[in-house]
Amino acid sequence: MSEKLQQIINKQHKTLSGDDVKIDEVIQLVGFIVGDEEFSVPILSIQEIIKPISWTRVPQTPPYILGVFNLRGSVIPLIDLRSRFGLEMQKHTEETRFIVMKNNDDVAGFVIDRLTEAIRLPKKDVGPAPDTISEEESMIDGVGKQADRIITILKVGKLLERNF
Amino acid sequence: MDEFQEILQDFLVESFELIEQLDQDLVELESRPDDLDLLNRIFRVAHTIKGASSFLNFDVLTHLTHHMENLLNMARHGDLVIDADVMDVILESIDLMKALLVRIRDSGEDSGLEVEPCVLRLDAVANGTSIPKSAGAPAAAPEPEPVVTPATSEGEEDYSGMSEEEVEAEIERLITLRQAEDAAKRAAHAGETSTAQTEEEPDYSGMSEEEVEAEIERLITLRQAEDAAKRAQKGSEPEAPKAESAPAPAPVAAPPAAAHKSESAPAAKTAAPAPKKVESKDDENRGGSAVEQTIRVDVKRLDHLMNLIGELVLGKNRLIKINDDVEERYEGEAFLEELNQVVSIVSLVTTDLQIAVMKTRMLPIGKVFNKFPRMIRDLSRELNKKIELEITGEETELDKSIVEEIGDPLVHIIRNSCDHGIETPEMRLAAGKEEGGTIQLKAYHEGNHIVIQIIDDGKGLDAEMLKQKSIEKNIITEKEADTMSEKEAFGLIFRPGFSTAAQVTSVSGRGVGMDVVKTNIEKLNGMIDIDSEVGQGTSMKLKIPLTLAIIQALLVGVQEEYYAIPLASVLETVRISKDEIYTVESRSVMRLRDEVLSLVHIGDIFEVERVFDNSEHAYVVVLGLAESKIGLIVDSLVGQEEIVIKSLGEYLKGIEGIAGATIRGDGGVTLIVDVAALMQMAKSVKSTVGQESAEAKGRSGAKNSPTDYCVMIVDDSKTDRTIMRKALEPMGITLVEANDGVEALNILKQGEYNFDGMLVDIEMPRMDGYTLAAEIKKYNKYKNLALIAVTSRTGKADRMRGVESGMVEYITKPYSPEYLMNVVKRNIKFNEGL
Repeated sequence: MSEKLQQIINKQHKTLSGDDVKIDEVIQLVGFIVGDEEFSVPILSIQEIIKPISWTRVPQTPPYILGVFNLRGSVIPLIDLRSRFGLEMQKHTEETRFIVMKNNDDVAGFVIDRLTEAIRLPKKDVGPAPDTISEEESMIDGVGKQADRIITILKVGKLLERNF
Repeated sequence: MDEFQEILQDFLVESFELIEQLDQDLVELESRPDDLDLLNRIFRVAHTIKGASSFLNFDVLTHLTHHMENLLNMARHGDLVIDADVMDVILESIDLMKALLVRIRDSGEDSGLEVEPCVLRLDAVANGTSIPKSAGAPAAAPEPEPVVTPATSEGEEDYSGMSEEEVEAEIERLITLRQAEDAAKRAAHAGETSTAQTEEEPDYSGMSEEEVEAEIERLITLRQAEDAAKRAQKGSEPEAPKAESAPAPAPVAAPPAAAHKSESAPAAKTAAPAPKKVESKDDENRGGSAVEQTIRVDVKRLDHLMNLIGELVLGKNRLIKINDDVEERYEGEAFLEELNQVVSIVSLVTTDLQIAVMKTRMLPIGKVFNKFPRMIRDLSRELNKKIELEITGEETELDKSIVEEIGDPLVHIIRNSCDHGIETPEMRLAAGKEEGGTIQLKAYHEGNHIVIQIIDDGKGLDAEMLKQKSIEKNIITEKEADTMSEKEAFGLIFRPGFSTAAQVTSVSGRGVGMDVVKTNIEKLNGMIDIDSEVGQGTSMKLKIPLTLAIIQALLVGVQEEYYAIPLASVLETVRISKDEIYTVESRSVMRLRDEVLSLVHIGDIFEVERVFDNSEHAYVVVLGLAESKIGLIVDSLVGQEEIVIKSLGEYLKGIEGIAGATIRGDGGVTLIVDVAALMQMAKSVKSTVGQESAEAKGRSGAKNSPTDYCVMIVDDSKTDRTIMRKALEPMGITLVEANDGVEALNILKQGEYNFDGMLVDIEMPRMDGYTLAAEIKKYNKYKNLALIAVTSRTGKADRMRGVESGMVEYITKPYSPEYLMNVVKRNIKFNEGL
């Protein structure tokens, strides 16, 4: 019994330390759906994910800026990612979420259609953004390949950059 | 080193405080040169700074202040009469002293500034010799005798026996000596060893009464216990008197009176800096007990506190809202009362707390006002005018951040008053006024605002001249000038680039100052109101909210959105029916008592989709900012609420028309209107207010060809009619002519034509244009007939009458055919495609 236990512990150790070695090479992402595509952002750039709450329209802004909302006393801009990506805006559903992302001091909430999952992706599986898009303009940081799917990794800094 | 830094900090803080007072005292002194109290006070400042700076080894500063002290000492004893020239030198030296202090603050040392010329001038004035201008001064020299007691005159002889340099050298030497001793003494004090003191005791008894010494010691101890932070100065203060009494020990010891009580100090004037000091220490002790009640707090901490209070206020608002909801749902339940009580206590305490914290941030506006007497003095000398400044209400308090912002605008306004307002003495006499002008600076509270008023009795503002200048400088067009009211014309002085000065002087003329005033005041959500009468003077009223972070706001609704308007900018709200809105040159206006107010719909500014438009009535929020006014049409008025300003963040900052956001009781976000920006935007926004009625016009039948449009030309002059006809013929519309109002009315009534527009001359026989328009508007079916006045009358009153009688446009003769055609096209909704 104790031998078995020891074995299990050893095994766990192994995997743990194995992970430790890998951890540098693995990036953790949060995946979500906007339109028909799956996107993701690094988990560390996400402050929180909330269910939709009411917001206030802000005039003189592009249509993809829905307005501002109150997140426990802070006034935070709300950006519709469908509209930002040039897709038709859609009514919010049960699965709609606001992802609050931050980059240094910049914070904004983004409306997404639904969350998928947290993804651990080895760095080697992340390729560069397709070079048809110019480096400057691109909101895409890279493309992750996983078994049967392709995940677009977004540049949070670019998303939070004011472009109007 | 740290201790030294601490001492240095205290020294600087106190020095700057002293200097602030000093400026005012000095200017006062000029008008009352024989006020001994004032002189003593000024002398003490120089003295205190000298003492402290020598202790801190600021040699240059010590050198300068020492010479100042010398001069002031002479004045104090009546050896020198302070006239304007002497004052100039003194003021110069004080400026230098300030510069040195600033340098010390910034770099920690007092080198790099040339004090020698100033010192020489000080000495020259003191000697009453080399400055030709101060030739009058020495005349006063023989006077001191009657004032001083025999004992002191002995002391005087002592001095006069030596040459100026010798005395100085002697004093300097003794000071240095004493400083060394004193430093040692202080060290001893700090270590609580009395050895140094006992060492000094023979020294003391050797030169003065034990009582005096005991008194001084007592005061020092008291002082030190009271205010450890101020030790630097206090420690060095007693040293100075000792140093000074050293050259003349006998006189001090001689009059026993001096030893008794400090009141007797004046008896032993010259030689008695020691008793003098006792007296001054008394003064300071009184001040000292007041000082004890205050703590210096870092402004950051107060700001933080203010932020927290802001959060609390939001919480409170929310709590009240929830309480209301709960009350509705559980009406009659027992726990409600308890909840109610708690909510009201929380809300009460929050409000009190907010007020209390706000008060901690309050500073008397005197802080700003203090620098003006000096400024006025300098300006009046520079401009060769006689100007008196009267300050009232300097104890009025307002938020620190506002105190900081208000200084610059006031400087500009006062400079302006001095330069442009107050006339030269000759001009004033010629105008039958007193030779000297007066500028009044007043501050007082008015509701949630502080009002600062600057009144001069100068030549006043001439509206016509202002317009003329503005036209010359291309700030406004002639057309704009014609329609300007007097108040609006006064407002021209705030336009960038505007200046009435013929040439740029060091005081004004660049056309920047008043622009700065306006921007700064607007930044503070303040208002400026100018009143002026030619020849009588000008009054400028600045109305500024007491605080910035938490404000009172008026909440207004448009469709389903809400906006908060800072209450400070709201003058009034009025409910009007839509009929009261007129359109003049495609802008909406309304008549508010005897003013014409331009209107703008909040929905047009903030791009609100107008889904429904139910009522016949509208609410107009009259906004005033600085000198301009505008009426903002809203759908509903929600009420007044206390709001906390929050920024929209980096991503959304700088949105035009939005000053920030606030969180309401229900947790929602409400945007705060930036009134200044809104007024700017209103200028370019096309009005849609009257549009419903314009659309209704379509009912008069579909237009299939240009000839379906029908316009009547009403003018008594055949030539004018022809000109109009020629201008409009290219459009291909049907034109009908009438000779005067009566004829026009008859043609209209016959109903042969369905008129879309009418060009009306104002001056006509039988029935003039106004009457015609009024007659036409009596009939509901002609409500949408576009009446366009074509006239050579251009006055504002005429235009107003036109608007009242129902004219939609006002074309002034002469006009270009294209212009006329465009106006007509616009007003009859001419469809170009036909």
